[in-house]
Order: sequence, then C-alpha cells, then structure tokens
Amino acid sequence: MEDYPEELRTPPVSLVCLTGCPELHHPISAFLHSEQPPINTLALPDFSKASVLARKKNRDPLSQPTPAPPSGILKRDWLLKHRTRVPAVVAALFRADQISGDPAQWLQACTDLENLKSLIHGRSTRLVVVLVQTQAAEELSEDVMTALRKRAEIDSKHLVEFVQNDASDLRQSLNKLASLFAELCLTYYKEEGRRIRSIIEKKSSPFPELNIRYCFKIAIYAEFRRDWSEALKFYEEAYRVLREMANTSTRLPPIQRLVEIKTIAEQIHFKISTLLLHGGKIMEAVARFLKHIKTYKRLVGLPEVDFLHWEWFSRQFLVFAELLETTAASAPSSQSPRFGTSESPFSEWEFQPAYYYQLAANYLREKRCCLEQSSVSKTDLPTKITEAPDSVMPSIHIGQSARLVEEGDIVTVLPLSDAEYVAYALAEAERFQDCYEIIALYKRAQESFSSHGSQRMACLCTLGMAREYYASDDFTNSKQLFDTVAAMYRREGWAPLLWEVLGYLRDCGKRLGLTNEYTAYSLEMAALPVFSTGFEETIDFGPAGPATLSREEIQREVLNFAVETDGDPEPVGLDVDLVSPLRSVLLVAVAFHEQSVKPDSVASLTVSLLSHLPLLFKVDLLEVEFNQPACNFSMSIPLEVSPNKWLRLTHEVKSGQSGKLECLTVKAKINNNLIICCRAESPALMEDLTSWKYENQRETYPTLDPALSLSGQKSIQVDEPNPLVDLTLNSIGPALVGEVFQIPVLVVSTGHVIHGGELKINLVDARGGGMLMSPRETDESDAHHVELLSISGLPEEKEDDLNTDLSEETKSDNIRKIQYSFGVVSVPVLKEGESWCCNLEIRWHRPKSVMVYVSLGYNPGDVDQRVNVHRSLQIEGKVPFFTNHRFMMPFRREPLLISNIRSLISPLEEKKVSLALKENNIVIVSAKNCTDVPLNLVSMKIVPEGGTDSNEKLFLVQEISGISNKCTRFVPGEEFRGVFSITPLVAKSSLSLGVVCVEWTRDSKNQDQPETVTTKHSLPQVCVEEPPLVAAIECPPFAIVGDPFSLYIKVKNNTNLLQEIKYSLGDSQNFIFCGAHVHTASILPGKEHVLSYKFVPFSAGVQQLPRITITSVRYSAQLTPSIAAGTIFVYPAEPKFSLEKNGSELVV
Amino acid sequence: MIVCVAVVGHQNNPLYLQSFTGSDDALKLHHIVHCSLDVIDERVNNPKRSASTLNETFLGLLYPTENYKVYGYLTNTKVKFIMVTTDLDVKDADVRSFFRKFHAAYVDAVCNPFHVPGKKITSNSFSERVGTIVRSFGPSMTL
Repeated sequence: MEDYPEELRTPPVSLVCLTGCPELHHPISAFLHSEQPPINTLALPDFSKASVLARKKNRDPLSQPTPAPPSGILKRDWLLKHRTRVPAVVAALFRADQISGDPAQWLQACTDLENLKSLIHGRSTRLVVVLVQTQAAEELSEDVMTALRKRAEIDSKHLVEFVQNDASDLRQSLNKLASLFAELCLTYYKEEGRRIRSIIEKKSSPFPELNIRYCFKIAIYAEFRRDWSEALKFYEEAYRVLREMANTSTRLPPIQRLVEIKTIAEQIHFKISTLLLHGGKIMEAVARFLKHIKTYKRLVGLPEVDFLHWEWFSRQFLVFAELLETTAASAPSSQSPRFGTSESPFSEWEFQPAYYYQLAANYLREKRCCLEQSSVSKTDLPTKITEAPDSVMPSIHIGQSARLVEEGDIVTVLPLSDAEYVAYALAEAERFQDCYEIIALYKRAQESFSSHGSQRMACLCTLGMAREYYASDDFTNSKQLFDTVAAMYRREGWAPLLWEVLGYLRDCGKRLGLTNEYTAYSLEMAALPVFSTGFEETIDFGPAGPATLSREEIQREVLNFAVETDGDPEPVGLDVDLVSPLRSVLLVAVAFHEQSVKPDSVASLTVSLLSHLPLLFKVDLLEVEFNQPACNFSMSIPLEVSPNKWLRLTHEVKSGQSGKLECLTVKAKINNNLIICCRAESPALMEDLTSWKYENQRETYPTLDPALSLSGQKSIQVDEPNPLVDLTLNSIGPALVGEVFQIPVLVVSTGHVIHGGELKINLVDARGGGMLMSPRETDESDAHHVELLSISGLPEEKEDDLNTDLSEETKSDNIRKIQYSFGVVSVPVLKEGESWCCNLEIRWHRPKSVMVYVSLGYNPGDVDQRVNVHRSLQIEGKVPFFTNHRFMMPFRREPLLISNIRSLISPLEEKKVSLALKENNIVIVSAKNCTDVPLNLVSMKIVPEGGTDSNEKLFLVQEISGISNKCTRFVPGEEFRGVFSITPLVAKSSLSLGVVCVEWTRDSKNQDQPETVTTKHSLPQVCVEEPPLVAAIECPPFAIVGDPFSLYIKVKNNTNLLQEIKYSLGDSQNFIFCGAHVHTASILPGKEHVLSYKFVPFSAGVQQLPRITITSVRYSAQLTPSIAAGTIFVYPAEPKFSLEKNGSELVV
Repeated sequence: MIVCVAVVGHQNNPLYLQSFTGSDDALKLHHIVHCSLDVIDERVNNPKRSASTLNETFLGLLYPTENYKVYGYLTNTKVKFIMVTTDLDVKDADVRSFFRKFHAAYVDAVCNPFHVPGKKITSNSFSERVGTIVRSFGPSMTL
C-alpha cells in the first residue's frame, strides 16, 4: 500500500488558490485546513505567479469532433494535478487602500484581475475577490465595490470583505470566507462531474478507455464532494468496463496491455475497498475482494511474464490485508452468529489480515518460481531479445512504460515492444530478493495467527518462512523454524507432514555439518509411520523424497554412514530420553521379574528393545548400566532387532548391596559407528510413542508375561541380609495397673557379630494400631497412660568396665534414652554365641492394651550396612482390683439427716452421701481380684487426702475389721471387705474422706521380695451434718417363743429446741406387745426420750417386728428403721451354745 | 468434486485421510486439513454460540482456500470429519447429507470388534464405502 502515490491513498481534498496579500495566506491556509471537511490552499504570493494555473495544453480532447483513440486509460498526473494545481476557487486578495487610493494601483488591480480571468477561462473555476480591510471604519464606497465586481464579472456575494482589525472580526471573516469557499468548491466539483457525466450519457466515445477515464473522474469529483455512494458507483462502473475491455482492446501489445489493465484495476479496486471499509461494510469489502481475485486470477497473460501476474496478484492480497489491518473494522462477529453456513458464507479467517498476508506470501512464492523459470528460459533465447533497453521509464499513462531515446539534445519517448518490455521486466524483477519479502509476509501472518490462537495456521506460516530460508541457503534460521514446526506435527501425530519437515531438517543438518542432528533426524524419519498410498512418487516432499522408498534408504545410509567416512573414529552418540522423538527408533524397557530380592542372590530382569525402523539391524554391543555400577553388564553377541517387534533379553544380576537397584541406561552400539544411549523405562510406566500410538497394529508386550508388562519396574529392592541374631521378648501374662511391669529382652547372636547394636523400644497404643505412630504424635496425657520407666537388668559390671577402662568417647557412645513411650539403648559388641539381656520396665497408669515394638539394628561386622530385627508383643494392662465402697449407719441407729430429706424432695440435685456428725458412720470397702493371677493383699487403709499430718483433724478413722495376717492371698475372683468407722468431727457440706489405699503384691513363687504396689481408690466427697434427732432401737439379739422381751426406742434431741415427735407401732400377728400404738411426745433440748415396749413372740424363726415409725413434727420427717433393723430371730426354746473347742460357753 | 476426506481424533491426530486427486496435491491437502482444525477449535470453543447451534454437528464451511472449500463436522464423541471439495458452489444441504452418510460409514467402521478405538482406521471396506459416498457427491444428490 505504501507503494501507491499519496493522492491515491488518501481521500481527495478540495483546492483553493489564494493570490495577493501574501501576509494573510498563512492564517487563511491554516484555518481552511482545519475546517471540516478541510480545504487545501494553493498560495500564490503575487499575481505574477498565477501563471501556474495556466493550462498546459490548449486543446481539449473532449472538444475534438473526431477524437483520436486515447493512448492510455488514466494519466499518471491527473489526480495529482487536481489536488495541487487545479483549484476549484481562485481568490484574489486586494487591500482596500489598493483599490480606493491611487488610480495607478486601481489600474494594476484591474490588470491582475484580467490576467486571472484569462487564466481560468474555459474552466468552471470560480473567482472570488476578497477586499482586505485593516480597520472596520475603512469602508469602501458602494461605487468602488460595484466597479470592482464588474471588473471581475462576479456576483455580489463573491466579493467578500475581509476585516482583520481584531481577533473576533478576523475569526468572523475567516468563517465567512471558509463557508463561501466550501460552497463554491462543492459547486465546482459538482459541475465538473456533471460535465463529464453528460459526455458519458451522450455515449459519444467509441473507446472504452475513455469511458473508464470518465467514470474514474466522476468518482474522484464525487470524492471531492464526499459523496461516497456516487464515488463507489462510478468506481464500480469503471471497474466493470475495464474488465470488459480486457478481452477487446488491441491498442497496445498484449503483454503491456494486460499490465496496464491490471494496474488500473488494482487502483480502482483499491479505491472501492477503501471506500467500503471506511464505510464499515466489511462483509461487502471481503466479498468484493474475493470477486476481484476470482476475476483476475486466470488472467495470467503470456507465460514469459507470468511472474508479473503473480507479483500483481500477491500485491492485491497484501494491500487488502493492510487495508483490513489499518481500518480496524472489526469482523462482524456480533452480526452473524455462525460462520460457514448459509447464513454467513464467510469463515472467520476471511476477516483476518493474517489470512491475506499468508496468501500474499504464497503468491509471491509463485511469482518467484515463475521468475526463476523465465530467467532460465531467457538464457536459452537468442540474445537480441534478451537485451533490455537502457532507459525505460514510466510513461504519462498509468501502467505503461516508455523508452527514452536521446539523440544529441533531442529526447524522444518511444513506445516499447513486448519483447523489450519482457526483457526490462525480467531485469527489474531479478534485481529484487523476493525471499525476504516472502518471509516478512509469512512472519506477519504467523504473528497474527498465533495471537488469534490459530496455532496450526501459524505453524503453516512458520513452515513457509522456514522453506524460504532454506531456499535462500540460510540453514541456521531455517533449521530453527523447522524444529518448531516439527514439534507441532510430532505432538499431533501428522506423520506425512512431519516427514516433509524432517526431510528439510535432515538436509539442513547435513549442510550445516551437524552429524548428530543429521543422524537423529534421519533415524526419526526412518522410524516414522509413513506408508505407501500409491501416490508418493508424485508428491513433492521437498528434500525428504518419497516416503515409502526412502525410509529404508535412509536407514541404510545412516547406519552405514560412519563406515564410509573411515577417517572419523568417533562414533555418533545419540541420547534418547523419555520425551525424545527417537524413542521410536529404539525403545528400551527393563523389567525385573521380582519386586525384591535377597542380597547376593540372583535377580532376573528382561531387557526389551523395540525399534520401528523399517529394516532389521544388528546391535553389536549392548551395555546395561545400573545405579550400582557393580551390577553393570554388557552383551557383545550380535543382536538382531527386527522392525516393530520386541527383542527380549533376559539376564541375571546379583547385588550385594541392599537398597534400590535401578537400571538407568541401556547403550546400544550399532555398526561401530552409532551409539544410542537409551534411558531405561519401566514397562508399567512406559508412555506410548506419539507417532505410533494411533497406528492400527497388533499390541505387543515388552515381556513374555503380559502381567509383567503392566506391572514391571526397572528397579528392584535389594533386601537387607538375614539377621543372624535372636531377639526374644517375654512377658508374664497381662500387666497390672500400677505395678512396674518387666519385660525381659534377650539378644543372642547366632552367627553375626553385633557391632554398634542399638535397641529401640517403642510403645504404641494397640487400638491406634501401627508402629508408624510416633511417640510425639500421641496426645500428651494419653502418652502418660503407659510409661516406659527404665531399662533395667543391664549387665552393670560390663558398664562399669566401660566406664573405668575405656575413654569418654565410648561412654557417650553408650546411648540410653528413655522417653514416655520410646527408648533407645545401645547393645555392646556381641560375638557369635554371646547373649545380652535387659528388662523393660513399664508402668500402666490406666488399663490399656499396648504394642511393644523392639527393634535391634546392628552392623554385622565386615559389611558396612545395617541389619534390623524387629519383634513386637502386645500386652494388656489390667486393673488388679475392682474396688467399691458403701456407707452405712451402725445397726439400729437412725440419725435424722436433713439433707437426705431434701434430696427426696428435689431428686434432681446432685446426691451426696451425708454422714452424721459425731456418729460412727460405717464404710465398707470391697476389693475384688479381677485378674487371672492370685494376689497378696498387704494392707488396706483409708488415708486422708493431703496426708495425715494435717493440723485440723476433721474425722476419725477406725478400722473395724481388715486384713488379719500380714499377707492375705486372694485367688482370682475373690473379694475382700474392709470395714471402717468414720466419725466426722466437723460439720461440713463437703468433706473429702481421702483415698482407700490397697497395697498388694503379686503372689510370685520365686523368693525375691516382690514389690508392693499401692492401688488407690478415692472415696467420694461427703456432706457432714449434725442430726437433730437420733433414734436408736435397743432390742435383744434374739427372742424365745412365749418369752417376753423389752424393746426401747431412744430418740435423742440434739438441738436446742423442743422437738415434738409422733410415733406409731403397727400390728403384727407374730407378736403381742404392750405400749402405745400411736402417740406423741415432746423432747426437751439435749434430752433423750425413751419409748419402751414389751413384746411376746408367738412363732419361731426370723420374724419381722411391728413396723415402727417416728415422725418429727418440726421437720415433717419420718425416721423409719430399715427392715434389717426390725428383724429378730425367735427361737422356739432357749438355745444352748457350746463351743467345745474353746472350752468356753458363749452366752449372748 | 471431493478431493479429500479426513477423520481426526481427540488429540487432533489423523485417524483416516484419503485424498482423491492422485496428484501432487496430497501433501497440500494434509496441510489444509490440519489447518482447518484451528477453525474447528475456534468454533467449538467459542462460548458465544447460541443454544440452537449447541447440538449441531455440522460445523459449516471452515475456510475457503482459493481452490478448495473445507467443511467440517463434529460427532458426539468429538471425532472430527473434514471434507475438502473443489466445487466452489456447494449447497449446505449436500454437504450435510454427505456428512450424514460418512458418519454412518464411520460408525460402522468403529463398530468392528477388531477395531481398537482411537487407532487409525485401516479397514478396506470403509475405504471403499467412503469412495462410493465421495463419488456420489454432487448437486444431483438433492435432485
């Protein structure tokens, strides 16, 4: 587009000529130029310069009665002329004083006006006279004005006064002038257009050239007027006539004629496209362009100048692309929802400049091809034609060339013959390097496409660039670009496209002398899945050559490459990693048959090789490398690798080192000139080959066993050597809470010498499961439930020896760390057969099941690796006793406790055991052996909380019955009861009674003094209160039928108040009694009231006494003795107790 | 005349590509088919598509090269069909009908129990059937 002259590229601007008063030209020009629409000015400083307006030719061809055939369609300078030299309006500026003052000046003015008039005579150019007044007061007389007007032969409105005394006046005058100019310009261009239109309408011209010219002119005049639709209409008309003319005109030699027509068509089409695009009609513009292309594509012309056609054709695309880009009219995405259907016949790309850039590049390539052919054929031609004429220049008509002949001083312009023109055009074309132009076009297209996310199209443009670089022997750039293209095709598996690119790459590598690259590209090509379809011979694959034949050739060539160049001793080395495209050349899968192996025992592995090369080849040497270099092995038997078939080799390796044994690389040496170093891959994790994964082939497995192909790994775990050490953990049944439980650990060496032995102990909650739970992770309080106290039983004398004999270092080496659930202890050097033992001391604070993990790590001596032995043992922690307690009152003694009554009324309150103050309250503590082993009970006592040495004695404890011997043996399930009497001394709502301590030992058979363990059972908080009334029933222990006995109920008032009681006695058929059935009594403070009854029993056996109820009126509370208290045994006759053994008679 | 038909898989890999020109255009047709995948991507991923076109399998004219027109079709399993024709004045209905037949042939081909899904289609009967469909393509089809 930049090649076009400026007047063609920009819309035409009206031209006004100013003459006279040069000082005013600048402000007037500037003002007019800034108007909308702008007006250009042709400023002539004085009237003498007005001759530039004069016509070059007097003869107007239009006025000729019989016009000669035109020698061209459009004149080159016509448009420029109208933009710079032919004004629509000529304005003569006179100073007012020039007119009104001196007669000589007036005469001069008249002369100047006459001159101007004569210059514009015959044109419709308007004349305007501007009278410049410096002051408003300086007004001219009406006569002078009229005279001047008559002189100039103009209307009154074309005589303008221009006042410039102040800014506002100046502005007003300028506005007036501008509107007048605009109006006159419009009239002028309209008239010019109408004039030419009338010629067309008369159809006077037999020549289509003239018709085109007229249409073009009308359109230009319409553009001057900004009448875009008319302009478009006449451009279209001109374009149509031109197209018709292409086949009919015989005016010029055929080649030059076509060149002219195309040049004109290009300009007209450019105008049309510009107008459409600026009018926002992008769809129409695209459609118009496609039509243009379609129309002219076939119009190639004679074969010797077809390059001219393609150059022109390419330029059409380039210009349209640039127009699309610069107008920035957005693609009509909102208007048409879907491209490519009947709703919208266009596709997305037709609105993108990139598409046209790419095509421009394509056609420029076409041009270059044709040019090369033409240049070749030119050399075959006789030389007289090929001689290009010396001075060829553009002629006065657009699209024509002429020859300048100088003979002495006379310069003549002669037309060219076609042969001369062809020679000239060839010479011109050969001067330019098209490839850079092509690359630039592809580059623009590629950038634009990739910014729109059209990667593949961008890739195609890159390919175009790469081909151009290749064609211009720039192999470095070319290779780089081809590489990016190849990556794209590799990823999507487009083998034929990749084949072509690799062919170029291979050639680039060859020409750049890159042996490795050359070999790699060649091998990749040879291993591509390109198959014959029968047409390969005819396809232009570039330097790659036809695919099916060449694959084998390439392989042969590459594999024998270095043999030919014998002087080069260095074999070519290729690395094939997991993402390399060369995996299809040689793929190595390594699978161990087992997952783990014992040290020093044999592990078998399968090394499988797969190649997609088309021919069988031999591997001379195969080297397999591992991460343990000792295991590396190589095979030097020639191996034949067939195409597309796994070659499976089974080998055995032996590793003495424990840990991971991994196969790293497999190196295959082929023909002594090529070493392919493949990264070993596990069959289980192997990715498909990108190029072969879509091929419809039989699925084969790298190993014989298909399961191994799915799970096989290239690494194997080499186990530790078998420990030759016995580690034993013993336990004597369940542990009991509270005791220090000992677990003996015994280490006996049965073959290994233990060096640097270390015993690790770990306690883990068995419920939580697993050794993985680290002691730190466990809850702090939880960790305390079971505690590793210490490790005892270490051979002390040995340690002493160490301490005394050996240095500090060895002492610090002797690790011993104990934490709550974790411990480490070092094990001394043990020779074969020696043993070492220790005891783990563990205490349970709560019943819990615990796993004890013990692991012994050591060095077996000669080999520098650790061996670990693990043992574990689950140990239940159990509670030794099930302890319980019960509070009671002494027999037949009932204190009235207010809190008990209250708790009856409101049972929701927390119930606390109430004890009567200063009464002997009975506590019965029972302990039941709930273990499986017999235990010895040493003692049972109630210990006040905070120790017995408290200053204030809150209560007295007295053991009523307990352990008689020093040790009482309890078998499992047996229960022991201890009876204590507690006499509270202080009334207190909350009193802590302390804890019951049960001391016990395991009933062990060995004579060691077993450790005494104390199990505590805490007694609850009790409420101590003073009973207001205490009722005691006095009754003999037994009765005899028919024998009367007395029963006293003693009610004591402990308060300072008078207490009234009601009491009643029920009836009973087994007794008769005397005394009040129902009665009341009043008890004085601190006194005791005795109710006495006399009973006579009737029947023998256990009998229930009549029910006794005592009610305190003040507290509305009943004192009812318990059923046990109201029971008596009645003998039928006087019993005789004889205890012969003791020799004494027990009399109750 | 149809010069090329192609089946393109999920990874934009060619599953079947047959050209019917027999001339040196074969590689060019590969390039055309490959590049038209860009337009398919754009059309399929374009979120502005209206609801009525969501279930449309026929993708329309992908892009016109000067000598060819390229049409696309997307199956429910996201396999793409691409057709390149030299007829510059083709009715949409013809192309739709062609793709329907082609789709049927493709479905039959992949229903073959010996065909591994996702692999290239190498069936000869499929090729023959495609050849028949291609030869029968033309304006006469709708008459």
